[in-house]
Amino acid sequence: MGKENSRRSFLKTGLASTGLALLASSKANAFSLKNPGRDARDARYIGQKGKHFVMVLDLRKCIGCQACTSVCKVENQVPSGQYRTFVTETEVGVFPQVRKAFLPQLCNHCENPACVPVCPTGATFKREDGIVVVDNTVCWGCGYCISACPYDKRYFNKKTKTADKCNFCAQRVDKGLMPACVETCIGGARVFGDINDKHSEVARLLANFPTTVLKKAQGTRPQVFYINLDNRVTELFDTTQDLDDMVKAEQGFEREWMKVREEAINNG
Amino acid sequence: MDSMQTLISSITIAKPWGIDIPNYFWFTGSSAAAFIISSFAHVFGWKKYKPIAGISLLMAFVLLVAAPLNLIDDLRQPGRILNFFLYGWENFPTSPMKWGVLLLLAYPILIFFEAQALYRPYFVRKAKKSGFLGKIFYTVMTFGRTDLSPEALARDHRLGFVLGAIGIPLALAVHGYTGYILGAVHANVMWHTPLMPIIFLASAMVSGTGLLILLIPFFQRFLSDRHKVDTDMVATLATLLAWFIVADLVMRFLWLTFSLTFADGEKYALYSYFRLHFMDTLLIDYLLCLFIPLIIGFTRLKHIPVVVYFGGLVTAVGVWIFRWNTVIGGQTIPRTTPGFLRYLPPVTGQDSIVSMLANWGVLIALICLVLLIFPWDEEMIDCYKGAEHGQQ
Ligand code: SF4
Ligand code: SF4
Repeated sequence: MGKENSRRSFLKTGLASTGLALLASSKANAFSLKNPGRDARDARYIGQKGKHFVMVLDLRKCIGCQACTSVCKVENQVPSGQYRTFVTETEVGVFPQVRKAFLPQLCNHCENPACVPVCPTGATFKREDGIVVVDNTVCWGCGYCISACPYDKRYFNKKTKTADKCNFCAQRVDKGLMPACVETCIGGARVFGDINDKHSEVARLLANFPTTVLKKAQGTRPQVFYINLDNRVTELFDTTQDLDDMVKAEQGFEREWMKVREEAINNG
Repeated sequence: MDSMQTLISSITIAKPWGIDIPNYFWFTGSSAAAFIISSFAHVFGWKKYKPIAGISLLMAFVLLVAAPLNLIDDLRQPGRILNFFLYGWENFPTSPMKWGVLLLLAYPILIFFEAQALYRPYFVRKAKKSGFLGKIFYTVMTFGRTDLSPEALARDHRLGFVLGAIGIPLALAVHGYTGYILGAVHANVMWHTPLMPIIFLASAMVSGTGLLILLIPFFQRFLSDRHKVDTDMVATLATLLAWFIVADLVMRFLWLTFSLTFADGEKYALYSYFRLHFMDTLLIDYLLCLFIPLIIGFTRLKHIPVVVYFGGLVTAVGVWIFRWNTVIGGQTIPRTTPGFLRYLPPVTGQDSIVSMLANWGVLIALICLVLLIFPWDEEMIDCYKGAEHGQQ
């Protein structure tokens, strides 16, 4: 084979590949009902067909250690001061009958998410296995989904400057691992799995225990289920008064405190 | 007390929308109002409004050209604007934001063509009188139609009518959709009402009229060859403003009575919001910014221009505050953590006080530009002359 020939074939392949690349890039830029990743049927966008992932939070076992909160930040490189999941810590009851109650919160991967249909770029969507994700290469950062989520479980990621939220650690789940928070949960309060698999632990828990979801009335059909969720804890969500002001104004705590101190001083 | 809950610690997210958004809503609303007022003459043929129809149309145009800049500034990834046009079309039926951008593109183009039809004869005359560069520029602005025959003028008129007629629903939609953006968010107790688009439209008519009450006399007095303010027009606008305030108050009354009295459990969040902001809402939003201009418009006070200007100013400001209270106030209502959130706009940077002021700067620059390009002054004087002839 002469030099000439090899040069020609090189040119040919070069031209062909450039042409293909152009075609591909123009295709990637073409109008889409969805977004390029979904159109390309990329496995990360489609998810695991036939499965439906849910999480069960067994509050009897949560000790409020925030291990999930911190491991999530590490696994998902969540910027400082921002969180995909966290555990609300409360006290219920009146002394001496008081106990602590914890409420781990994360994106509910709603069956009927409020965040997805409002997205004008198609950046956020529900995978076929139920996981709601954000494509941070498409999102233009309008914040509509953040406004729309009734659970305040989305935020603008300071680093990517796009909407961000819990993705059930899809990057791990697709490799057959558990979400980081589930793996690290000390009490075993976080249980994750495929609800379509009747032998999975989530299916068993859902079959055997009464469970509840947050803000049912929003109609979003959350897929994060709670066992032993105390109504009094969710009631706190509706407490809209500024807590400090409420304590000061309605209960006169400050005055009380001064009085107690004065009495203590007077009594020596 | 049988139970007591105390929050020890919780985390909630920062809300996405800042000062740019109420400002954007105010701009589109005022633009829609200015357009509707210009249509009083162009579409409904109300002679009384003819002299200010042209300038109102131009104001509608500049307000709407400046408005979307707020949105771009609000985006965290403004460089990805193309993604909006390329992707996500399956969400078209459910994402009012998707409708909005299309409206935002169509509406200014329509206004521009309507203004071109209105001012074409003036461009033709100007092209004849101007020097070389002016000639080229004004000829371009005539779109090559230099005919000044009665038939050609009638055609302009018809075109103005048709574009104005199409423009009315478009103007209502371009602002109404912003009400949809908020109303569609069922997670927000304050926003989630089907009345939201209508409340927004009603208050937009108020702010737009208020703005015109300030701008038109200013243009007439200082920038026009007429050098004097049409005080009758000022009084007419004052009464119009008062009627729009009536409509606005009715809408707000319907909204608040239903959402505070007859709504389900979520009304308690609104209760505490309004309890917290009772005095400023009542005194500033209602008493100062709505009731006082209402009284001005329906009494003889409307014949004192300075008083009317004051009314125009407070309504324009009042509606801006109302937009703020709705967008920002609505976001301060917590969803999964107790206590109201707080928001203070940053002074500099994206979505800040300075960026909002810069947007106002752009608006003022655009106003100057269209006033320079469009022969609004001559057209206005001609209208006044025509009206005087008509009376004789
Ligand atoms: S919890 Fe919020 S972010 Fe998650 S799927 Fe539901 S609506 Fe969307
Ligand atoms: S912030 Fe991003 S993901 Fe959320 S609605 Fe806007 S474009 Fe969609």
